[in-house]
Amino acid sequence: MDRLKLQTLPAMNPTPIQNEASQLAILDSDASDHDKAVACQRLVYVAGPESIVPLAALLGQEHLSDYARSGLEAIDDPAASRALLDALSKLKGRQLAGAVNSLGVRREAKAIAALQAFVADPTGGVQVEAIAALGMIGSPEAASTLEPIITKGQEPLKSAAGHASLIAAEHLAAEGNPEASKRLAQSLKTVFPKGPIHDAATHLSASKTK
Amino acid sequence: MTNVSNRRQFLKTTALTLGLPTFIPASALGRDGHVAPSNRIVLGAIGIGPRGRQVLSCFLKEKDVQFVAIADAQESRRETVRRMAMRVYGNEDCVKYRDMNELLGRDDIDATLICTGDRWHALASMRAAKAGKDIYCEKPCSMTIRETQDLADTIKRYQRVFQAGTQRRNVDNFRFACELARSGKLGNMQTVHAGILTLREDHSWLPAEAEPGADEVDWDAWLGPAPWRPYNEKYTQGRWRGYYDFNGGATLPEWGAHTIDLCQWAAKADGTAPVEYEVDGDTVHATYGSGIKLVMRLAGFKGEGDWVVPGTCPVRFEGDEGWVEAADSGKIASNPKTLIKDFPEGGLSGTDPSKHVRDFLDCVKSRKQPAANADVTRYGHIVSHAASIAWRVGRKVRFDPVSETFIDDDEANRMISRSLRAGWTA
Repeated sequence: MDRLKLQTLPAMNPTPIQNEASQLAILDSDASDHDKAVACQRLVYVAGPESIVPLAALLGQEHLSDYARSGLEAIDDPAASRALLDALSKLKGRQLAGAVNSLGVRREAKAIAALQAFVADPTGGVQVEAIAALGMIGSPEAASTLEPIITKGQEPLKSAAGHASLIAAEHLAAEGNPEASKRLAQSLKTVFPKGPIHDAATHLSASKTK
Repeated sequence: MTNVSNRRQFLKTTALTLGLPTFIPASALGRDGHVAPSNRIVLGAIGIGPRGRQVLSCFLKEKDVQFVAIADAQESRRETVRRMAMRVYGNEDCVKYRDMNELLGRDDIDATLICTGDRWHALASMRAAKAGKDIYCEKPCSMTIRETQDLADTIKRYQRVFQAGTQRRNVDNFRFACELARSGKLGNMQTVHAGILTLREDHSWLPAEAEPGADEVDWDAWLGPAPWRPYNEKYTQGRWRGYYDFNGGATLPEWGAHTIDLCQWAAKADGTAPVEYEVDGDTVHATYGSGIKLVMRLAGFKGEGDWVVPGTCPVRFEGDEGWVEAADSGKIASNPKTLIKDFPEGGLSGTDPSKHVRDFLDCVKSRKQPAANADVTRYGHIVSHAASIAWRVGRKVRFDPVSETFIDDDEANRMISRSLRAGWTA
């Protein structure tokens, strides 16, 4: 069985944490997709500002885009968010969806306007991803962009906004905006009269009133 | 259960509308030991390989379960499971899906059994929770600390019943050993020991092969949230283990999900995690805030390591007045020996999930928390991942169980999460 096969594999030493320059040299070479992918994964541990441009350059590549996002998501520097934002106009399809998701993961407030534009554009193919990212950002401004979608939007955007709003409401409650969270939860209960979103909003309301 | 209630109403309405005959089989009415259809838990399964079939067979034995659908990226596995259902029910009602979202979109399904590879466990569970399903999910339930948190938060958000496939919480010898520790019969707890496999983290790719048609193997869906790599049939046959992209935590959670989970329970640490981790070869030493030590050390399929009781997934709990040890053989040993004089021989082996499945089904009905619920799973899995991160950085790391982050350690904190592949999020 599978786990028996695993046990026959030899032990490995942990992957040494590589210095940033050595991994950037791999990205700047004719190395294979595999080697560049692993370099991106190792950069997650050590990447700083120097890695932003080389990683951003890979965002449009079909097989390396997600690896590059891993590195960019890890860099605690506003320039990494700017690189993702700048890339939005150049990306399409999965690669665009990935960059949108990464901005959500980074909770990048400066992305709200761009995300709103994607939500409004049915031809862009990333409406649901943009809605999810707004939920992850979860600021009062981001939450307010979701409310018209749950009240006036069509499926599947309406339900996507419902789920995203639950996450936004949790962020609001945890970050000093309990009243805004309560209003959002109440709105969700009304708009979704039954089902998982209604039940979750009801639970959220109850947990805040304790 | 809302769904069950809806079905019951549907049957009643349909019978009235259509003027159905009054001659109804006893099995349909719930007599002669049968459970009426309207009172059965309707189950769908996602990602069912060899281990999944073992767990599914436990569900199929339960009379209050009606298994109706299988979703898997591989047709051969879909068909194998459909035939399993056909043999049990004598009909061809089990529906096959390539896309799990179609299964999760069915309003008649109450609960899901998720036995995909590790890369999919948390994501599929979160999708199921959002769809209002209860979840039994094989272990390890997450690839990273962040995914562990997201999973537990999602289960809590949607108020679902969640049972991790860490069935040893419902296996007699392990339960007995944990109770000895928890009841103080070993004295003050000093050290708990968890058996683990050798740690490894392989970044290599197998050679590229021609992708089969998506109806045979949907490689894109098989990869799911894992980063892209070229297709090779071996991955789809179970040879994905040990690879960094498919096996979280350097394989430590493979057994740690079970054995560390039991140590957490024995040490009364279900809601917390050790605050320090340090690696010595194959062993990771950790210390709880209470001062209790957790030692994660090598065990194996061939009796590796210094364990008294034979069997995989061993655990050992030491107090200042005695110790107890248990493993998958179903056996137990202690010092003093009198501690286990009341333990009945002949219990389940550690790999048997039958009682764990029953616990889950009972909780689906009662809405109570099962033994390996999402909160218990959160902390047990966080410990596994934190220990693997200590191994990866090769030095002592300090962890804050409240913020669930490493203290003053940017490098370790960067290992808390991984990106999900575009298009494959919750």
